Amino acid sequence: MEDLSKLSLIDQINGLKSRKFSSLELTEFYLKKIDQAKALNSFISLNENALKEAKKSDEKISKNKNSSLEGIPIAHKDIFCIKDQITTCGSKMLENFVSPYSSTVYEKLSNSGTVNLGKTNMDEFAMGSSNETSFFGNVLNPIDPERVPGGSSGGSASAVAANLCSFATGTDTGGSIRQPAAFCGITGIKPTYGRVSRWGMIAFASSLDQGGIFAKNALDAALALENIAGFDEKDSTSINKKVPSFLNEAKSKDKEHIVGIPKDIIEDIKDDKVKNNFYESLEILKKSGVKVKEIDLKNIQYSLPVYYVIAPAECSANLSRYDGVRFGHRCENPKDLEDLYERSRAEGFGEEVKKRILIGTYCLSAGYYEAYYIKAQKIRNLIKQSFVNAFKEVSSIMMPTCANVSFKLNSIQNPVEMYEQDIYTIPANLAGLPAISIPSGKIKNLPLGIQFIGNYLEEGNLFNLSNKFQQNSNFHNE
Amino acid sequence: MKISKKVLSNISSLSKIKIEEEIKSDLIKDLESILKMVTEMNKIDTSGIEPMSHPLEDADNLRKDKATKEIKRDEYQKSAPQTDDGFYLTPKVIE
Amino acid sequence: MNNTWESVIGLEVHVQLSTESKIFSNAPTKFGQTQNSQASLVDLGLPGVLPVLNEKTIEMAIKFGCAINANISSKAIFARKNYFYPDLPKGYQISQLDDPIVGEGKISIEVDNEEKFIGITRAHLEEDAGKSLHDRYENLSAIDLNRAGTPLLEIVSEPDLRSAKEAVAYLKKIHSIITFLEISDGNMSQGSMRCDANVSIRKYGEKEFGNRTELKNINSFRFVEKAINYEIDRQIEIVENGGSIDQETRLYDANKNETRSMRSKEHANDYRYFPDPDLVPVIISKEKIQEIQKTLPELPEQKISRFIKDYKISEYESKNLNVSKELSSFFEKVAKKISSPELAAKWILGDLMAILNKNNSEIQDSKISSEDMIDLLSRLEEGSISGPGAKKIIDLCWLSNESIDVLIKKEGFDEVKGEDELLEIITRIIRDNSKQFEQYLNGKDKLFGFFVGQVMKETKGNADPKLVNELLNKKLKQ
Repeated sequence: MEDLSKLSLIDQINGLKSRKFSSLELTEFYLKKIDQAKALNSFISLNENALKEAKKSDEKISKNKNSSLEGIPIAHKDIFCIKDQITTCGSKMLENFVSPYSSTVYEKLSNSGTVNLGKTNMDEFAMGSSNETSFFGNVLNPIDPERVPGGSSGGSASAVAANLCSFATGTDTGGSIRQPAAFCGITGIKPTYGRVSRWGMIAFASSLDQGGIFAKNALDAALALENIAGFDEKDSTSINKKVPSFLNEAKSKDKEHIVGIPKDIIEDIKDDKVKNNFYESLEILKKSGVKVKEIDLKNIQYSLPVYYVIAPAECSANLSRYDGVRFGHRCENPKDLEDLYERSRAEGFGEEVKKRILIGTYCLSAGYYEAYYIKAQKIRNLIKQSFVNAFKEVSSIMMPTCANVSFKLNSIQNPVEMYEQDIYTIPANLAGLPAISIPSGKIKNLPLGIQFIGNYLEEGNLFNLSNKFQQNSNFHNE
Repeated sequence: MKISKKVLSNISSLSKIKIEEEIKSDLIKDLESILKMVTEMNKIDTSGIEPMSHPLEDADNLRKDKATKEIKRDEYQKSAPQTDDGFYLTPKVIE
Repeated sequence: MNNTWESVIGLEVHVQLSTESKIFSNAPTKFGQTQNSQASLVDLGLPGVLPVLNEKTIEMAIKFGCAINANISSKAIFARKNYFYPDLPKGYQISQLDDPIVGEGKISIEVDNEEKFIGITRAHLEEDAGKSLHDRYENLSAIDLNRAGTPLLEIVSEPDLRSAKEAVAYLKKIHSIITFLEISDGNMSQGSMRCDANVSIRKYGEKEFGNRTELKNINSFRFVEKAINYEIDRQIEIVENGGSIDQETRLYDANKNETRSMRSKEHANDYRYFPDPDLVPVIISKEKIQEIQKTLPELPEQKISRFIKDYKISEYESKNLNVSKELSSFFEKVAKKISSPELAAKWILGDLMAILNKNNSEIQDSKISSEDMIDLLSRLEEGSISGPGAKKIIDLCWLSNESIDVLIKKEGFDEVKGEDELLEIITRIIRDNSKQFEQYLNGKDKLFGFFVGQVMKETKGNADPKLVNELLNKKLKQ
């Protein structure tokens, strides 16, 4: 039998529809692979009902009552709540938290007919760029098990890269989909802020968090994303706009692209190999008929400091609900309320999470609020304006996804050095713009990614551009 | 930017996270290096710029005033550390 | 009262808005339900949940703003107020800081026949906290989150109040406005209206304010006066003995009639407000405000003038009838059905209020309905029952479930004596008391009262005292 797991999502759908294989076969295939790849530690928990769900899908397919993704086995980042399943968010705090409700993203994919294989590993509360902050242990990069898969959605990225699921969900606050997608050599999309409902997606930094997709290629990602996008009345920050067929847009032959190149940023790339890869990628695009224009993205260099005020500030409040009272970890024998709070939180949260809560608390506290929080918000406005101006001239912007390839486990100890992983991905989050990372080559066997940032609600454009690139290259199949 | 032990103890108390004495100096070092990176922001003049708290300017997404009947207390309390008779329990609070 | 010291008082009034569902969730807001049976996923602050604003709360706040001629903000921004407490599930309260929905306004109060304007600083929307019960378990506190998320309008006054009496008048005015607008039931005993008072003292003529204390937990009109007076006296005593006032939060204990320091609130007042990233600003259009302005119901002041004009009652009566919406409409129902509205005013403010006060009841809980009152006063108007008889019927009606008609028959109050019958009785009484009659004729005028008493006794009070006087005068002087 052929390796079904290597088929693209679209081929799998066709295979299921034409009864070449069943969802049960496909699911069993994946479960076996997951079992063989245990060492990667991609999953925190497996769904014990996966086979049952597959059988149900097969029944529907046999009655021609299949939904758009019927019978496709996928994985969810363990940040999405699923009713009656443990949702840990990579934290000891939620080690035993059985969610009494489901996230909109899960509901939508479930209604589309997908089979849930399990929940993938992640940096604790999505805070990290290497998946090393997970309470459930490191995730290994399937390309090189001595290296990290990136983070925070490291489990989803490694699971897709190792063919342990057809596609996977993820979330991206500062690069948590795009950076691991680049490190693992796959495609990862963070849509426009507000495109995908945040209901049931455990919050890190509410004004930056956005759910998205890891897939083998741009077309798969387009199809998967159109199944999770859309207005949700349960999320006030959800955009009430119709979702087009991203797959059709991805395949459209009518789209003209003018790709903006932020010259200063590209010239500043420290690693020549990364810089060369960028220009090589640009050549591929040019060959496919894409126009290129140099642009100036002012103040974008302040994205990192701005992000490290806003994200910790928001997280310091978002994570106050973990107080050991209604759910989550509670310390043993608290002597009073203060003790209950302080010890439950000290024990339940890992070091990185605590650090960010403390930084956020500091930036919001009396006397510092103006200098940090307000200042950051003002620069955030400037950064957004830079993008708005750029999109008057170009249809998308191209940057590297990351300044480097995947690094070795435990090799980065300095927090700021780790934070710098996200210098190219953070700007899109600050502005709320859609952005995609696709594989663009390798340095000594280790994948590199390039990133396209699109205008608001122009995910279709990004898929189209990415598809063009992938039609003229083979990095996504290597 | 320097973080004194007093400031650390203040933010630890505000955020209700107990910090063990032995990790304090390493933690301060980390926090200071983060803040040093953050103060890069001061290089840019932002006078007259409106702060932007959200990428969306507005979203007219309000809810109609309708109440649900679907409140499943016992289900919601399944993961609670300590409950009795439908109450959540905490150590006694002295006002 | 002390002639050296002037007290300066500002009130923060929390009004629970009478919506069906909560401000940010669809949980019901009913009072007195089983613990935690009205707390939804959102109210519990579970991981991944999001708030969505109830549009009715915005309308209600605008109504209040219109009623006090305040500026209505063109956008409402919600902020997180961060502090830990077991009945605050998220570890922050969603409230408003900048751009409160209702800006500056003023209301008039009347104390000792003098009108005075009290400035309103602002009124903003926020969510209520749950309840902590400290007496139910020996070593534990029990948390009930039914109240969590109930919409509150917090109305903040300027420090314009100069006595506890003024504070009560102000509070009563707020009460009448919110009940007339039907945005709250204003029920203080159920906590629908709660009040914190900021109290300080200064020497008359001084411009600077003294250190103020914040009195919490004052939950009836009576306690407001007592608590503030206690606090004023406490502060005067401290200052006169050379001490100084600590700026602090104090709890009013109604049982002991004293205030005491709340140490638990002391060190937690760096609330780190910042805009809630889960809620984008709500835009309030001029059209929306005008639309609401048009549907504004008649307010107390308008009603007071109309009652004077339409029902020919005194200003004093009209004001007293318009202290609450319920009383006002009770009066109007009765006044419309009987021929003399003045009689309705007199009886409602007199005997009905007396029995309500005696039983510690509000008009909405009155056991004497407006229909009862109409029956009773109609009988009085047609002369088929006497005034004293009617008084007794009110007492009886309070205690029984019988209708007015049945009570009147049962007690024999309907046998009001006519002139002939009375003359007969008077003649008989004079005959039976010939000794007193002789003394009266000999100039002992005081005995007139004796004869009146005898007649009333004989008629069981079912006689018109005026008529009795008239007839006796005639008969005794014959």
